[in-house]
Amino acid sequence: MGAAALSYKIAIASSDGKQIDETFGSAKSFIIYEVTDGVYRQAEERIFHPDKIRDETAALLNRCGSSGGCGDRAHGGCGSSAGGGCSGQGDLSSKVMLISDCRCVVCKKIGFHIQKQLERKAISAFDVSCSAEEALDKITFYYSRIDKHESLRG
Amino acid sequence: MAKLLDKQRYKCAMGAMQTVQAITRAIPVLHSGPGCAQKLSDSIGSSGYFSPNIFPCTSINEKDVVFGGVKKLDTTIENALKVIDADLYVVLTGCIPEIVGDDTGEVVSRYEDADKPVIFASTAGFKGNNYKGHEQVIDAIIEQYLEKSDEKEKGLVNIWADVPYQDLFWLGNIRELEKLIAELGLTPNTIFGYQRGIENINRIPKAEFNLLVSPWVSVGNMKKMEKKLGIPYLHYPTLPIGAYETSKFLREVGKFAGVDEQKIEGIINEHENYYYYLIERYADMFLETRVMAKQFSVVADAQYALGLTKFLVNDLGLVPAKQFITDDTPKAFQDQIRAEFENLNYGLKAEVRFETDGYKIHNEIQAHDYHGYPLILGSYYEKELTEKMFGHYLNISWPVQDKVVLDDFYVGYTGGIRLIEDIYSVAVQRWN
Repeated sequence: MGAAALSYKIAIASSDGKQIDETFGSAKSFIIYEVTDGVYRQAEERIFHPDKIRDETAALLNRCGSSGGCGDRAHGGCGSSAGGGCSGQGDLSSKVMLISDCRCVVCKKIGFHIQKQLERKAISAFDVSCSAEEALDKITFYYSRIDKHESLRG
Repeated sequence: MAKLLDKQRYKCAMGAMQTVQAITRAIPVLHSGPGCAQKLSDSIGSSGYFSPNIFPCTSINEKDVVFGGVKKLDTTIENALKVIDADLYVVLTGCIPEIVGDDTGEVVSRYEDADKPVIFASTAGFKGNNYKGHEQVIDAIIEQYLEKSDEKEKGLVNIWADVPYQDLFWLGNIRELEKLIAELGLTPNTIFGYQRGIENINRIPKAEFNLLVSPWVSVGNMKKMEKKLGIPYLHYPTLPIGAYETSKFLREVGKFAGVDEQKIEGIINEHENYYYYLIERYADMFLETRVMAKQFSVVADAQYALGLTKFLVNDLGLVPAKQFITDDTPKAFQDQIRAEFENLNYGLKAEVRFETDGYKIHNEIQAHDYHGYPLILGSYYEKELTEKMFGHYLNISWPVQDKVVLDDFYVGYTGGIRLIEDIYSVAVQRWN
């Protein structure tokens, strides 16, 4: 804290890099912005590879084999709340892994279940329909104020 | 520097959701975080057709802080109108939307043409406590709903008194005030409680005058109604408890309303005869000095601190120690209220402290010499303290933990008798 430069990352779900137009589930990639001292710049694009991660997740799930019933329920709940954009709990968990170093993720829509997964990793989710620029401006303004313990008023 | 407030005796301005709830079939629509209504609701008679658990709420979160919560507010109002069958929708704003700058007024104005009235009151916590919030809600009704009426109803009087739910006895008190006013041949109109609601709000502009029974809460509302609706007001600062103050109250209101003096005296006479008949029957108990404490302190809002002090001095002949007003009374009213405490019978004067910090209040009570055990009328916070001092204690102000009040009241002649019963029940329990 204090005088040290705060740096963090924001993941954006956008098909063209301009508009927030992808739901969390449907996003094939995330554009990662890096923010230093309140100034953001595009750092990289992280492509989501469902096949590759599915194997990893399968291994993960095998390790906690007894949670089958729970997994099923989560699957259903997630599928319906994400509005069809989500193709199963396994994929989504790995998507969370993909952006686990980010402070927040911005997408058009996000399911309740996946939002909980993000919450556990202290990642905020903003489901908005606006330009990437507007979202980045607002979010960086917000974080810079709260990081400095300043009021959001005015 | 940040100040820590110990034993707070009020809530934030959004506590005024209880003012809205007290109007039958009116519902608060909260533009706030999801925990506000839960924290602000007491379980003192707040369930029913609408209860705090079903108040529509935008439940704003981090996203709304960053991007603004107006869209959510818009859909919440829209859907509240669809699914909740109410007569009046009052949007109340919490701290968060006001800090981030949501234009609630603009969103609410979109519902001007809705089938049911939708109004809004700014009740951010940093704007004041729930006494202020109560005023904001009444102001919202005056500003955004009521229209001036050319037609007046003869003898119609709007009565305004306690802050619902914050005052334990709000329902009984306002009904008793209604009864007293009706005895004078006037027609009382109030908006709170059973079978009072939008119809009564609609009648407000037709009244001949407003009667405010409160030291400071709602004075601003009265001025606003005078200006916008052309309704004059009578400000009676003391909650009339017991014979002395109630008779004075009837004389003053009667005079203001132009009621025949003989008629007023007749009413007073009848009440006083019965009141003093009861007192006389228990005179041996009242005169037995061992029973009652010599000195008392009231720890309550201005309404109760003043009303009870006057009653205990003027009617019961007790000696006031220091009195504490805990409602964060605005500075502009403090001198006026202090003067009322200096205007007691038998040439007595009561010292009064405007203090919101319970820690300081308790220190002062403990430092005072009550010449024996004290009588403390206060909130639940004073219970333990009074026990430590071996005093008599009665819970009359918020927070209330050891009393259930459905429609009991302390106003008027009957209310004074009820209070005597309560105080002396505490005292005799000690001796028996």
